[in-house]
Amino acid sequence: MQNAKDTFYEVLRGRVAAVNPDRTIVLRGVVRPGVLVTENELVSSVNLPDCFRLSWTAVKTDTHGTMPALAMQCEIAYETAGTAVNAGMDRGRCLGAMDGELLAAIGAVPQSSLKSNYAGLEFGAAAVAMKTNIWWGDVVFGEMKVDDDRLSRTATVEVMSYEEAGEL
Amino acid sequence: MGTVSETMSPVLGRVRAYFAPVNRGSEMPTIFDPAQSGGFALDAPPAPWVDLGWIDGFVRKCGTKVVALRSGAPATTQMQVRTEIEATVAFAFESWGKAQLALAAGTQQMNLLKTVTGATAEGSGGVAIAATALLTGSTANVLQVGSTAAAGFAVGEIVAVDVDYAATTGFVGSGLSGAYVKSALTDVDYVRRVTLNVGRIAAIGTGTAAGALTLECPLLAGVPTTSMKVSGVVGFCDREGSSFFQEWSGLFVGEGQQGERVVWFYPRLQTTAGVTEDVAASLGGLEKARLAGSFRALPVVDPVDGETVVCFRSYVAG
Repeated sequence: MQNAKDTFYEVLRGRVAAVNPDRTIVLRGVVRPGVLVTENELVSSVNLPDCFRLSWTAVKTDTHGTMPALAMQCEIAYETAGTAVNAGMDRGRCLGAMDGELLAAIGAVPQSSLKSNYAGLEFGAAAVAMKTNIWWGDVVFGEMKVDDDRLSRTATVEVMSYEEAGEL
Repeated sequence: MGTVSETMSPVLGRVRAYFAPVNRGSEMPTIFDPAQSGGFALDAPPAPWVDLGWIDGFVRKCGTKVVALRSGAPATTQMQVRTEIEATVAFAFESWGKAQLALAAGTQQMNLLKTVTGATAEGSGGVAIAATALLTGSTANVLQVGSTAAAGFAVGEIVAVDVDYAATTGFVGSGLSGAYVKSALTDVDYVRRVTLNVGRIAAIGTGTAAGALTLECPLLAGVPTTSMKVSGVVGFCDREGSSFFQEWSGLFVGEGQQGERVVWFYPRLQTTAGVTEDVAASLGGLEKARLAGSFRALPVVDPVDGETVVCFRSYVAG
């Protein structure tokens, strides 16, 4: 399950960076593409704007096949106050741009990727390619919400994978 | 793909459709060899296959009947025989275009040629403007018509490219037969009315390239001959009640999530229904009309072992 989550994050981060190289954030002193996984970061009471924040919620399983199949719900939250140079009056356009980036990144063909095991990165080793692909459905956009000067939205996408031997 | 994942049922998303001509005179379909081409890029099918885009509601039905032969008392099944071979396939196209319209209609599908001023009204288009002759040097993508004639066309315009009708009978239409003429007609533009050899103009040459019409996609029939002419097309029309049966080779590809692929190849398909649309819900409470079709598979002989078959299903590992 963790490998599928990590792989989807890596794919989405790469695709967002390709669609809009300027969408970057500074997190723990490092400039990186504007995609993060909340459970992998320090707990914070402040939502970082102008980036995509991934949270993993519901999980469904199908154990009838040769390999157990998983369907994991990924919630992607994002918000923006627009740009200072426009005094925030472009916040609607900025949110629309993020909608477009997410749609392009998730909807790009193929909607699948070879699963990798990133556990070795902690010790300086490279990611290891696994034997199966993860795949995902289309993005579903939630309603736009207004919170003071910020506009926000949460989109969801279902990410599927097979659990390979040794992953359970 | 590892051997472990090959044991899983393919998880398929959408199905992509392609078609290729059947030579009606010799009843020779286009053969798809999955061993050589099964892994082709979906956006670049091997020639002469033409992309029809994604389809929805792809349903295959087997009508083959297997009957038990019994003998003795009490009767006991001694063996089985196949008494009928039958297969049909049905789906709805996700996009509209000349090829989709023609194949879904299953009969002659008319190009609405631009008419002369004051032409008598006709249900499938009145008398057409005189067609423009092709000059030497044309290719499947670029039509050389000369700078004077090129001024009569516009970027974005659809054109039909085919020969003049010459009072012949039989199958007509370059690339893929568009109709069968039972008795001689008088319309010199008839072949261009029914041809599937159509394209949309992407650019009109200027300067040293003046007189060249560049098409968005290659013509179905490939490089045109200088006996072909070009007619402007404003749209397409099909008719319920036409007698002609369109026939084509069909290829359907479903891609699994592990890189595997299921390929269904029907060498010969003919429609089993009339002209109809499938209405599906669209966003905003509107409805979208999709071109729906159902087709019966006709037989070919597989030269590998001489078996008479109507369709091939291939599984190609990723």
